[in-house]
Amino acid sequence: MGISLVIDVLLALGLVGLALQVVAGPSLFRSIVLFVVFGLVMALAWARLHAPDLAMAEAAIGAGITGALLLMTYRRLVELNPEKRGETYLGSRWLAAPVGVLTGVLVGLIGWAALQLPPGDTTAGTLARDALDETGVSNPVTGVLLVFRGYDTLLEMGVLLLAFLGARAVASGRAHSPGTSEVSEPALVGALLSLVVPLTILVGIYLLRAGGHAPGGAFQAGAVLAAGGVLLSLTGRLVPTDHTPLVQRLVLVLGLLVFSGMGLFMLFAGSAMLSLPGTWAIYLVETALMISIALPLALLFAQAPGLKGRGH
Amino acid sequence: MSVLEIVSTGLLAAGCFFYLAGTIGLLRFPDVHSRLHALTKADNVGLFLVCLALTLLGESLRVALLLLLIWLLGLLAATVSCHLIARHSIRRKGGRSG
Repeated sequence: MGISLVIDVLLALGLVGLALQVVAGPSLFRSIVLFVVFGLVMALAWARLHAPDLAMAEAAIGAGITGALLLMTYRRLVELNPEKRGETYLGSRWLAAPVGVLTGVLVGLIGWAALQLPPGDTTAGTLARDALDETGVSNPVTGVLLVFRGYDTLLEMGVLLLAFLGARAVASGRAHSPGTSEVSEPALVGALLSLVVPLTILVGIYLLRAGGHAPGGAFQAGAVLAAGGVLLSLTGRLVPTDHTPLVQRLVLVLGLLVFSGMGLFMLFAGSAMLSLPGTWAIYLVETALMISIALPLALLFAQAPGLKGRGH
Repeated sequence: MSVLEIVSTGLLAAGCFFYLAGTIGLLRFPDVHSRLHALTKADNVGLFLVCLALTLLGESLRVALLLLLIWLLGLLAATVSCHLIARHSIRRKGGRSG
């Protein structure tokens, strides 16, 4: 008890300290690096709270992919404005205090509301857990995400697609090559890639498969696959294209199509909309979601409408 | 405490010592290369000792193999990123590029 309490208190203090450093730090680059550290410590906190699914999502998406996207954005900022390198791009500092106070009040209110919640046995979580057998999967997180609140998950896919389309709309249209093609590649990079990229595919498929009965699922698996794509485009193995190839267009909307198509099919078959007819359907939808999550994340990082293999 | 627990506690403590030393080196050493030198000791030896201690506590072949895999992957990532950072540092100073 004693030592684990110490660890929890250290984690909580560390999180608050890191968050403070991220928003109030003197340099943008430092803030980005500390944001990644914040995500990793947050993942530890989720693990301590017995929420391994969230811990993995936080580490893969919150720290990993978001960190890569932020670093890429920083690089573009420096390219666009070299003399401002190292300067903090903070907008209006006088907004910081009111926003901080309002956020504090909001967090306090949510905490207070959480304390007023009725005890365990009447909450939605308990109902969902009791009905878990009907979902066909034994991991409660996957069951809730795809069966009990499938509508939310479907809309989340829509949000991801919209975010990608929005980023394309504001992009200049010119594809940027993120790889450093002008300098020779270090010998170790190829060796690293030949080991790590197959591993990301293996881990992604494992997470997808494990999502039915253990921590894992489409979002974590998609983020891991996207990380493989990030590595490949960072090292110039995948190069940007000017237009999105047809296959990649299909992949971008595949998750939405399969999920909503399955939901509509069940509606016309006389069941509830978005209800899934069995475990196989859950895995089918999860697989489609995984690749429809991975591709836009990788494309966002590459700042490109599409990707192709080098030399094609 | 069994002998196994005593040994693994000692290994954990030794691993933590390497992490501590590596972190102090990272914070206190003057330039990129000596900082990397300190950091990779923490990554390689510290992680190895911690994994070894957990292997002893885990008492199963599966756990042992998983921990070995974790150590090897950590080693790989540390080696390559250390190499890249050192190379970048040399190139920025206008020296030879490896």
